Amino acid sequence: MAAAGIQLHPACRVRQEGFGLLFYDSRGPRLLFAATGSLLHPDFFKTVRERDELPEGLSDREQTVLQKFMSQLLEKGFLREQPIR
Amino acid sequence: MSNRYVEMGLSAPVNLTWEVSLACNLRCSHCLSSSGEPAEGELSTAEALDLVEQLHSGGVFQVNFGGGEPFLRPDFEEILAACHARGIMTCISTNGTLIGPERVARLAESRLVAIQVSMDGARRETCDAIRGKGVYDKAIEAIKLLAASSIPTSINTVLTAQNAGEIPAMHELARSLGVSLRVSRFRPSGRGADNWDDLRPTPAQLLAFSDWLARSGDVRTGDSFFSLTSQERQGLGLNLCGAAKLTCCVGPTGNMYPCAFLQTDRFKAGSLRDNTFKEIWDDSEIYASFRSLRIHSCEECQRFDQCHGGCPAVAWHLKNDINGGDPECLERCVTSIADEARTAKAA
Repeated sequence: MAAAGIQLHPACRVRQEGFGLLFYDSRGPRLLFAATGSLLHPDFFKTVRERDELPEGLSDREQTVLQKFMSQLLEKGFLREQPIR
Repeated sequence: MSNRYVEMGLSAPVNLTWEVSLACNLRCSHCLSSSGEPAEGELSTAEALDLVEQLHSGGVFQVNFGGGEPFLRPDFEEILAACHARGIMTCISTNGTLIGPERVARLAESRLVAIQVSMDGARRETCDAIRGKGVYDKAIEAIKLLAASSIPTSINTVLTAQNAGEIPAMHELARSLGVSLRVSRFRPSGRGADNWDDLRPTPAQLLAFSDWLARSGDVRTGDSFFSLTSQERQGLGLNLCGAAKLTCCVGPTGNMYPCAFLQTDRFKAGSLRDNTFKEIWDDSEIYASFRSLRIHSCEECQRFDQCHGGCPAVAWHLKNDINGGDPECLERCVTSIADEARTAKAA
């Protein structure tokens, strides 16, 4: 059975801004302003990721913050679960 | 919080209005751009496709196409396809008269397009009085075709004195057709300025609409930057005019403006024939002036947090002053009605 991963919802887009990431959900439309600075690059969301996957080289604190952020993105529908094949 | 990020300046608009042509087969009396004949020197196909590439590289999420009637432009579907190939979402504002089954099938393939069909009355007589004889029936036909497809579809109604009483019926009509309803504010630009006195809703109608809207959670409003329900808008915290901050307008000849209702030389931010989209977005003095616009005269108002001074385009068209606050805001409607009542009592 394929493991569960996460991916940007097809109705959503993300881009880099000075403050961090700007998410757009065309279903609302809704915007989400995320003060992630340069911790996450929009390209990170281009492919299916494992649930707890994060970019390399982050401190423990940064990892904790980003894990929580990713959960919020999933909860708010900007990310969706997707099987990893 | 969100407003702070917006006021810091975004790298590109979130979405933009692109009026691809002034050509239109209708002559609606409220048309914001006085559409009819194509404008002289409208962007060529190559220029339009180059703009799409610029929007993509700039990170624009969505393009809202209007006009004129976009489908009168022979290369319009090519421009749309270029947007979709780059993942840019699109929304088309159309009068519905050129929508047929084959076109709907082609458009549905992209899964990145939404369509708004304009209708200005729940009654045929009301709608046709504004848009022209026979338009109501053609629009209904188009909506039925679209509703049967996978394309997200809405009816877009401009609130006027003539149709204000029919808005709840428009809501019912939209429901019965399986689409949503969006109600836009009537603004005095283009032919709308010529017919302002006839079509302008009264303060009482505006207040009644506002009350109804607050109770009608699924109806969207066409405010100055987004189509949102009032609840969604509060959730965003973006209670400000989005012109030059979150959105902008590209006119048929490649001129850029803060919004579709300010397509005049006074508000021209630049031309895509002289500068790139990114250069104009980043460096235009007009855009800078909108980003720093503060309506100080409204700051003491109890509703300031909800509107931040309202629509600068209405302020410009009615008072020639974008700094003076929206002359037709809800607070002023209340004052106006109270003044009238006092005058009547005194008489």
